[in-house]
Amino acid sequence: MNEFTPAAKISEITDPGSLLVEIDEQLVVLIHAAGHYYALDDVCTHDGGPLSDGPLDAAEGSIACPRHGAKFDIKTGAALTMPATKPTRSHDVKIEGDQILVRLCDN
Amino acid sequence: MIATALSTTGFSQEVFDAFLAERDEPGWLTDRRVAAWSQFNKLGMPNNRDEEWMRTDIRLFHFDRFAPFAGIEAPSELPPALLATGVDLAGRSVSLDSRSLSNEISDECAKQGVLFGSLDSLVKEHGNLLRPYIERQLVDPNQDKFSALNAALWSGANLLFVPKGVKVARPFHSFTAMSAGGVDLGKTLVILEQGAEATLLTETASTDPEAGGMHCGSIELILEKEARLRYVNLQNWGSGVWHFAHQMGHVGANAGLQWTIGALGSRLAKVNQHVALTGPDAEAQVNGVMFTHGKQHLCYNTHQHHKAPFCRSDLLYKSALQDKSRTVWRGMIKVDEAAQRTDAYQRNDNLMLSTAARADSIPGLEIEADDVRCTHGSTSGRVDDHQLFYAMTRGYTRQEAVRMIVSGFFQQVFDRITIESVRDALGEAIGRRVRDIEE
Repeated sequence: MNEFTPAAKISEITDPGSLLVEIDEQLVVLIHAAGHYYALDDVCTHDGGPLSDGPLDAAEGSIACPRHGAKFDIKTGAALTMPATKPTRSHDVKIEGDQILVRLCDN
Repeated sequence: MIATALSTTGFSQEVFDAFLAERDEPGWLTDRRVAAWSQFNKLGMPNNRDEEWMRTDIRLFHFDRFAPFAGIEAPSELPPALLATGVDLAGRSVSLDSRSLSNEISDECAKQGVLFGSLDSLVKEHGNLLRPYIERQLVDPNQDKFSALNAALWSGANLLFVPKGVKVARPFHSFTAMSAGGVDLGKTLVILEQGAEATLLTETASTDPEAGGMHCGSIELILEKEARLRYVNLQNWGSGVWHFAHQMGHVGANAGLQWTIGALGSRLAKVNQHVALTGPDAEAQVNGVMFTHGKQHLCYNTHQHHKAPFCRSDLLYKSALQDKSRTVWRGMIKVDEAAQRTDAYQRNDNLMLSTAARADSIPGLEIEADDVRCTHGSTSGRVDDHQLFYAMTRGYTRQEAVRMIVSGFFQQVFDRITIESVRDALGEAIGRRVRDIEE
């Protein structure tokens, strides 16, 4: 299993807001919504679009791909709307002091 | 030696100035490099809002993580050259990390006026001869940041020049190697004057098959009228290499180009391959063989540009994808208004060996003439379970059966490759990579 890696400082992401980070040669979008932090692969499983450029809906708990509007659950990465049908990967997040740490999931 | 003179990392002004100071090149070439360097600094990185780049994410690529001409210690042994095995060659050249190591040409070819070897050296000796061809600028330095970088800093480059009417039967071979973490800024320039004929085999490899690195290259093939060229380009970099290339062929009247690409290596490849048929009755056959595995991402943008009447172009790209790899092929046939009676075809077939792999296949036509035959096709599919079952009932193991089916898939393109060593090398390299079908 991967280790938790410092990804950003709490002060770098507003609530609601998102931030693109690079962890171990992978692009991850960190999301801050309703006081919680989440981490997803920065890739839409439909067309490879960058989720970090898409609108975040904190109330619905979703982030949308800017290309075709496919929505993903910010907690689990599940595809919520067409045209995406497969989930994007979600990663473990924890807070230590003012640091946001992310552990990349392997699958 | 450039390697000892330059120690700064990244593509900085200091690196460029030191590079120029070491070159001792004709003024006209230095001026071109300076203009391209300026363009490199002006142009932004391509981004995924651009149609050409939207399926190829290079946000993890950073120029400042590479050190051109950094003097990485040369390995004691280079990787084996696959295409030259058992071939009687007319000449061979070897380069490592954008530095020419050795160049040989047969006495017979040299006497006929053929030039082959390091473009870096030959442009100093034959500047007047080569200048008009270099100034044609087939690959446009203004196209993107990578074409500008190559135009500014190309080195360790290859030249094949065959004078008018000279026909060379034996192939030339050029091998470009890269050490772990190295940078290759190679360029290949082929010039066949009227009625000349030649075969050039080029291949790339990393000293460590798992190694990272960066290649930013260009290929320019100039075929004057009635010339014929068989050109093979095997890309077999280590699995961590970023590969960016602009490749352009110019085929004159009654000339013929057979261009075969094998794409096996690299972490991410973004290649623009462009063939322009510029004189009546010109012909181009383009063959592509791709095998991807792991998390490889290979993107090929092909362009068949018919500028003159009565020309023929025929493109066939075949890919097999394993694991979580991805290929992107965008093909365009463009026919100018003057190019009546064009006959053009493009086809891309993808064999999916894993449900997690992905192939994007995007053919296109742009036709301004009204008397042409232009067609295209694309297929993507999995290995037929019935074929597997049948092969296994005849005594083959599952892996043998998969290998046989993959080999059969590529046979159509292998049949078009007329050079035996190339067929064998590609078949063997692919056979070694095939594992099993993943659900």
